[in-house]
Amino acid sequence: MVKSGVTGEGLSIAEKYYREYGYRARELKKQGKKVIGYICAFVPLEMLSAAGVVPVRIKGNVREPITRADAEMETIVCPLIRSCFDLALKGKYEFLDGLVVPHSCDSVTRTYDIWKSNLKLPFCHFLNVPHSTSEPSLKFFRAMLELFRNSLEKFTGKEISDRDLVRAIKLHNRNRALMRQLYELRKSDPPLISGVEMTRVLVAAMSLPVDESNSLLESIIREVKARNKPTAKKSARIMVIGAQVDDTALMEIIEENDASVVIDDLCIGTKIYWPDVAVNDDPLGSLATRYLEDLMCPRTYRDKTGTNEEYVEERFGHIGRFIREYKVNGVVLYIYKYCDPYGFEVPDIKRYIEALNIPVLYLEDEYSLSSIGRLKTRVQAFLEIMG
Amino acid sequence: MAVPIAPRKKATNAASKIPGMVKSLISEAHRAKQEGRPTAYSFICSGYDEIIRAMDITPIWVENFAGVCAAKREAPRFLERAEAGNFSRSLCTYATCGLGFDLLREELGQMPPSAPWGGQVRPDVMLGSGQMICDPRYKWFQAAQQLMPDVPVYVTNAFYPPFEDDIDYREIIDHYVRYMTEELRGLVRFLEKNTRRKMDWDRLSELVDLTDRTWTLIHNTYELRKAVPTPMDTGDAMNTMVPVAFMMATQQCYDFFTELYAELQDRIANKIGVIPEEKYRLMWGGGLPSWFALSDFNYFWSKGAVFPVETTYRVIEDMAALDIPRVSDPLEHIAWRYIKYFLRWHDAARKRPGSHPDVERLILYIEDYKIDGIVIHEAFSCRSWHPGLLWQLSVLKKIYKPVPVLTLGRDGKSSQEYREVPSLVLESDIVDISSYSEADTHNRIDAFIATLESQKK
Repeated sequence: MVKSGVTGEGLSIAEKYYREYGYRARELKKQGKKVIGYICAFVPLEMLSAAGVVPVRIKGNVREPITRADAEMETIVCPLIRSCFDLALKGKYEFLDGLVVPHSCDSVTRTYDIWKSNLKLPFCHFLNVPHSTSEPSLKFFRAMLELFRNSLEKFTGKEISDRDLVRAIKLHNRNRALMRQLYELRKSDPPLISGVEMTRVLVAAMSLPVDESNSLLESIIREVKARNKPTAKKSARIMVIGAQVDDTALMEIIEENDASVVIDDLCIGTKIYWPDVAVNDDPLGSLATRYLEDLMCPRTYRDKTGTNEEYVEERFGHIGRFIREYKVNGVVLYIYKYCDPYGFEVPDIKRYIEALNIPVLYLEDEYSLSSIGRLKTRVQAFLEIMG
Repeated sequence: MAVPIAPRKKATNAASKIPGMVKSLISEAHRAKQEGRPTAYSFICSGYDEIIRAMDITPIWVENFAGVCAAKREAPRFLERAEAGNFSRSLCTYATCGLGFDLLREELGQMPPSAPWGGQVRPDVMLGSGQMICDPRYKWFQAAQQLMPDVPVYVTNAFYPPFEDDIDYREIIDHYVRYMTEELRGLVRFLEKNTRRKMDWDRLSELVDLTDRTWTLIHNTYELRKAVPTPMDTGDAMNTMVPVAFMMATQQCYDFFTELYAELQDRIANKIGVIPEEKYRLMWGGGLPSWFALSDFNYFWSKGAVFPVETTYRVIEDMAALDIPRVSDPLEHIAWRYIKYFLRWHDAARKRPGSHPDVERLILYIEDYKIDGIVIHEAFSCRSWHPGLLWQLSVLKKIYKPVPVLTLGRDGKSSQEYREVPSLVLESDIVDISSYSEADTHNRIDAFIATLESQKK
């Protein structure tokens, strides 16, 4: 079981970690561990785990108005990033020893210096990630990972050997496999675990060392499998697509309206838990391939090979597979305002899914509960039309 | 909401030729299309100017066309078409204007009626760019390809090292140069395959040399603007950006700046300034302009304020200062030049605690151009160039206080203190005129001028 002082079943522990985000990191910090925050899905956690630090993904809070960030961070920046920065300025990430920011999108890249100069942490690193999957891009990214390793070694004073990396890769592959097992339990009708519960688990996992996350997931899987009276069957099985949806609000709205969220294509969900890292004697090369080629994020451009239909399938085929495997009958495409990587994909994703005869609700939203009334109305209308 | 367009008044003779040059850029694409020569949707500042010129591929500058649509107040119908096609209004409006236009052209099978300057022709290839900033540069053409599935896209990655406390760029620059060189080589292969044009490597080397000389010439020309009164200001530079951004690696660009250089020398010799009496010298410290409201520069002039310098579109440097190693591969040379440009202010930033290369650039210009105040423009739809501007001003305020001000204490004694350079933040967009309020903009300018006035006293 989890080595923290928290007791109870897995799901209740996950809920605690969800509600008191960073709880475990604070405990571990008190025990002398170094805690490194990171933004987005492009930071190889395997490297942080191999360095022996506690990785914590930075999240915002849709329930807290942004009051401090706007002085230095423009309001045209991704609202999630603004919320994250606002929380950091308010001391909610006081336990961090460092921060890693990847070159993922403009909002993340352009604000790295703002984070750095305001937080004044002992360790900050910008990980450059190419926008393409070409051979030179992979080679360059591998070199950037080597640089990241060197930088972390300097900070921690600990060598990160290839063997350490392979060990960490195996632990994270195990973590991903466990999360996929949990997703499997959503295939049944009704699913054994709700979208709200799943969001709590995904968020909790963002704040834990990988071994603790593995223990927690094992416990949750046992608990969920043992449910003999799952929630009532609902009329709609919904997939949610978007970026870092790290609050249960949207799932609550959907699930309060006679629907179940059964699968996602979110960057805290299937996007990061589906692709594994190959275990071989070139761990940096494996990490480069996994994070650049296999992670299906719109910020990575994929060259078109073959016909247009093949290209569309290459970009969105995983969504089609999820729809079939999880018997999805409706999709909520939930995009944050000012998100260029996702924003430009919306017409293509929508067209692709609708071609599968699945209705799509496209919502552009701020990262804030202030729009919850409008969201409820749109979701209710969508589910009613789906019948 | 139509806002009357006030005519610009103080342009240099060279800059007054720009509208004709823009028009011929667009008509050249039409001509190439008619003659069966390859055309390419292209982005500025992507490091591939010499390559496409050496291969006789006619660029179609998509940002230019969106800017033209904005300046001619023709953009709303294209923005609306894009929005109807599920492209959010919050995305880059250069891109949504261009995509809206493409949507209409592809639907109609011909140019949309009354398209500005004959419209934007359908390209043979689209050349995206993956850079440190500007997501639309690789997403726009990917989206456009769904409207034109037969048009191939290539994305060239061109990165530079970030400013880090624990890493000197010299330790890692080779990775970046090698990477960009290989990406450019991939672009040449792509173009040879898709346009059936062979690269003329000798021609490429000539154009690389021409571009080097042009960079230094533009730098020297803009340095002349340090003169008091300044012979040319940002209002003009938002026009002279046309040869900088859209005509690099052409003799025409070099000749344009040769002429402008001579004209500015002449103006300086005859003490001809942009306005009769310069009261305030301002820097355009960042942000793309509102192309539909360039006449706001007239309003600044009416208040006695001129802009001898800007960071926007000053995407060239003195080649000697860049200190590039001699290499025989023209593609590698392009990569070195591109990357070293972005590292130009790193060393200065290391020397000043709490500073940053972008802030050092502001400080350099403040001192060199005798700047009294900074103006930035926050365009709501662009996350490439605008995020970080407020922070730069904030850092500048903390680390740099060059303005001596005499204050009178309660004891009746005067004392001197130093204050930061005042700044003004304008808010609107590059293309979307619905975000613009002339009254609000002028009110802000009035208040800023009042601040400058109080500091001068």
